[in-house]
Amino acid sequence: MKKSKLVELALITAALASCNEPKKDWDDNNKVHLRSDTTAPYTTVHHYNGGGLGTALLWYYAFRPYGNYSNGAYQRAGYYSGGIGHFSNVGTNGFKGSVARGGFGRGGYSVSS
Amino acid sequence: MKRITTTPRNNWQSAVEELGFGFHTTDVPYWDESVYYEMEMDEILLIEKATAELWELCLGAVQHVIDNGLYEKFGIPDWIVPQVEKSWTEDHPAIYGRFDLCYKNGQVKLLEFNADTPTSLYEAGIVQWFWLQDFAKNNDQFNSIHEKLIAYWKYLQNYLNPGTLHFSCLKETLEDLTNTEYMRDCAIQAGLDTKLVFIDDIGWDDDTKQFLDLENQPIQNIFKLYPWEWLLKDAFGQQIPEDSNRAFWIEPAWKMILSNKAILPILWELYPDCPYLLPAYFEEGKLADYVKKPIFSREGANIDLVMKNLSLQKTEGIYGAEGFIYQELFTLPNFSGHYPVIGSWIIGQEPAGMGIREADNLVTDNLSRFVPHLIK
Repeated sequence: MKKSKLVELALITAALASCNEPKKDWDDNNKVHLRSDTTAPYTTVHHYNGGGLGTALLWYYAFRPYGNYSNGAYQRAGYYSGGIGHFSNVGTNGFKGSVARGGFGRGGYSVSS
Repeated sequence: MKRITTTPRNNWQSAVEELGFGFHTTDVPYWDESVYYEMEMDEILLIEKATAELWELCLGAVQHVIDNGLYEKFGIPDWIVPQVEKSWTEDHPAIYGRFDLCYKNGQVKLLEFNADTPTSLYEAGIVQWFWLQDFAKNNDQFNSIHEKLIAYWKYLQNYLNPGTLHFSCLKETLEDLTNTEYMRDCAIQAGLDTKLVFIDDIGWDDDTKQFLDLENQPIQNIFKLYPWEWLLKDAFGQQIPEDSNRAFWIEPAWKMILSNKAILPILWELYPDCPYLLPAYFEEGKLADYVKKPIFSREGANIDLVMKNLSLQKTEGIYGAEGFIYQELFTLPNFSGHYPVIGSWIIGQEPAGMGIREADNLVTDNLSRFVPHLIK
């Protein structure tokens, strides 16, 4: 129970002060299926919560594009996503390489203990 | 220990939000400063002593589980056992845990140990400390969480793999992000190079057999606020033993033994004379008054309180498939219909402070409130 002399926060105050928690209105019956490109199968999106900020974040994370520049123009090849399942990113094409994403994070909504 | 009602600070919402505490209220209040607990110094010393001793016993219990290969009782699959044992024998970095204790009639009893992904760290370490500065700055608090986190990250720095220490949690949960970013804040202040990557965004390169962040930087060390039992069930879980970087996962894999309620009967079997332990068994029928708990459970789900074959209180949930344990009933103290549980933090190897969560019934669930404390 030693009294703290000085408590300073280097990172968290500015980063989080303006945050608001998204609504926790998960609806299991309202499923969205996505795949990153035509080489991958469709899988169910996890952490889809049906509306509001959750939807905006979902689309942001689901449709993070990958591709390359060719002759000065961006050629989009597909979407890497943290919002869709691992199997939505399997399969290969020239741009994907061998990195898959989305293989962690399906366990739950929060770890509160 | 006294429960004292008081008037919240006029600007308490903005005061806690300025600290970055954005989840003080959800559907119901979570941070509650209309009440606080006043503790005597000898009560704090008892809780501190119990925490230190329980930690020592827990380390002995882990060794016992490993020596006797008791993984089946914990629902730990065979394929991850080498990782568990390697993390223990090589003493992989670990930083914290939270004992949930019942303090009543001068006795301290262990209810469970959140050894892998304890939350309410920020509330306990920061929010209630700044409440004390506004409310009663001449009093003290059982709280050196912040200093101990920074000091222990400094100590661990020499034991990590070279490179960045990543921090990770689920997306879209402000509570998890706040706890994770607070932990990262302390690591930054300790001088570590850190980076946040959401657990959902981690990549696996099957050619080079390594985990990558969103910039394709290899992950060498990772603090994860995401439990081992979920990692193991995820598609990438089986890649952890294949990782060519042998990344340190913090908390390490051996913590999945301590965060499991199967540790409670093991502790009782090994240390029946310990005054801080309650009798606990894997088998039903050895206790008349008991609490039935799933070995995996969160936020008070699937708990059954039984007295003389009658269920006092039972909660619903999704847990229980992996089995249950039975722990002697030792009900939380009743303060006019409010039931406080003490979360006592161990950081590094030392007791570091406490937070109190208060429920309106005997099971501390996800509707419980965090209530500050001070030392008289």
